[in-house]
Amino acid sequence: MLKTLYVEGATPFHRVPLRAKLILLMTASIVLFFVSSPAILAPVFLACLCLYLTLGLSWRDALGRIGWIGFAVLVLALATWFFNGLNEAIALSLRIITLVLLAAAITATATIGAFMDEITVMLMPLERRGLLNAADVGLALGLVLRFVPEIAARYDNIREAHRARGLPVRPLTLFVPLIILTLKDADTIAMAIDARGFRRQ
Amino acid sequence: MTTRDLVLIALFAAIIVFLGIIPPITLGFVPVPITAQSMGVMLAGCILGAKRGALAYVLVILMVAVGLPVLSGGRGGLAVLAGPTAGYIAGWVVGTYVTGFIAERLVNENQGGARQMAGFFIASIVGGIGVVYLLGNLWLAFITGIGLDKAFLASLAFIPGDLIKAGIATLAARAILVGYPLLPQRA
Repeated sequence: MLKTLYVEGATPFHRVPLRAKLILLMTASIVLFFVSSPAILAPVFLACLCLYLTLGLSWRDALGRIGWIGFAVLVLALATWFFNGLNEAIALSLRIITLVLLAAAITATATIGAFMDEITVMLMPLERRGLLNAADVGLALGLVLRFVPEIAARYDNIREAHRARGLPVRPLTLFVPLIILTLKDADTIAMAIDARGFRRQ
Repeated sequence: MTTRDLVLIALFAAIIVFLGIIPPITLGFVPVPITAQSMGVMLAGCILGAKRGALAYVLVILMVAVGLPVLSGGRGGLAVLAGPTAGYIAGWVVGTYVTGFIAERLVNENQGGARQMAGFFIASIVGGIGVVYLLGNLWLAFITGIGLDKAFLASLAFIPGDLIKAGIATLAARAILVGYPLLPQRA
């Protein structure tokens, strides 16, 4: 149900460490903000486009992942053209699409595990001050992945219960039992986690 | 934070993810189908309260960042956070916090149903609509150079749908407060 957006491969971009890629994205987002000359933006855009298209994604998948952002950028570009002129609109669209392509390229070439390692490193300063436990983040993420299919099954049950009673499926009669049934499990799950000593408290 | 709070946050994040998977729901009296996921801000704030609700959304955004397609329509990945709509996504976290903050102060279990619903409705509108659009439009205006007033004018088109969502969230939050109250015991 929840398939990661990672794509297997061994391209040079796959081999770059994730931290370097994230720093590149952050730097690019700051630097590109101050660049408005299409003579610089266009080559950068083409470079990111080539990078994104050579990661081993099928054309269909590659387009599907960013298509909706492309649409949003198109609407924004038209509005900017109307209010601020053509040059501004071109610079804006190139800038945003370049960043989106780079970000999509990073997502396609880094595993969830690699991301979690980086997040744990980023949370270390907070953990040292006793504000949170970095391991909790991984635990919470695992719980979400574990329970989404469970909620989907519950949703189907509630819909079938409606059908069996000849009731129309309304948002309210659907969400209320779904949320209560799901949250009611919290106590049992919390006890199970504590009984296994996962949080070492 | 107790283990129970951690689990509640994770379970609600799972509900938010699931709301993005189900097809848009059509209401009997409005022809336009509504996507359920944006209702999550109001629901999370009104049901879990400020801190836990906001953390549930932080968890969802974390999942987006690590490359899971958890947003409606199977969207996900860093591209979402780099795109022009990133302000709305930041608005979800702050909006949930504000919704929960207001709901915690306006609603308690000893009030009558009408007062509780009024409290939830105000919280949903201020946090779930006001804050989300404020942050989203500020970011949009900042990166595009389009005036803030024009960005707000464009988002007016979505307000009627959002008011309906606030209404549904209000009724759901009140039913859950009666059935399984979580809001009074703040994290």
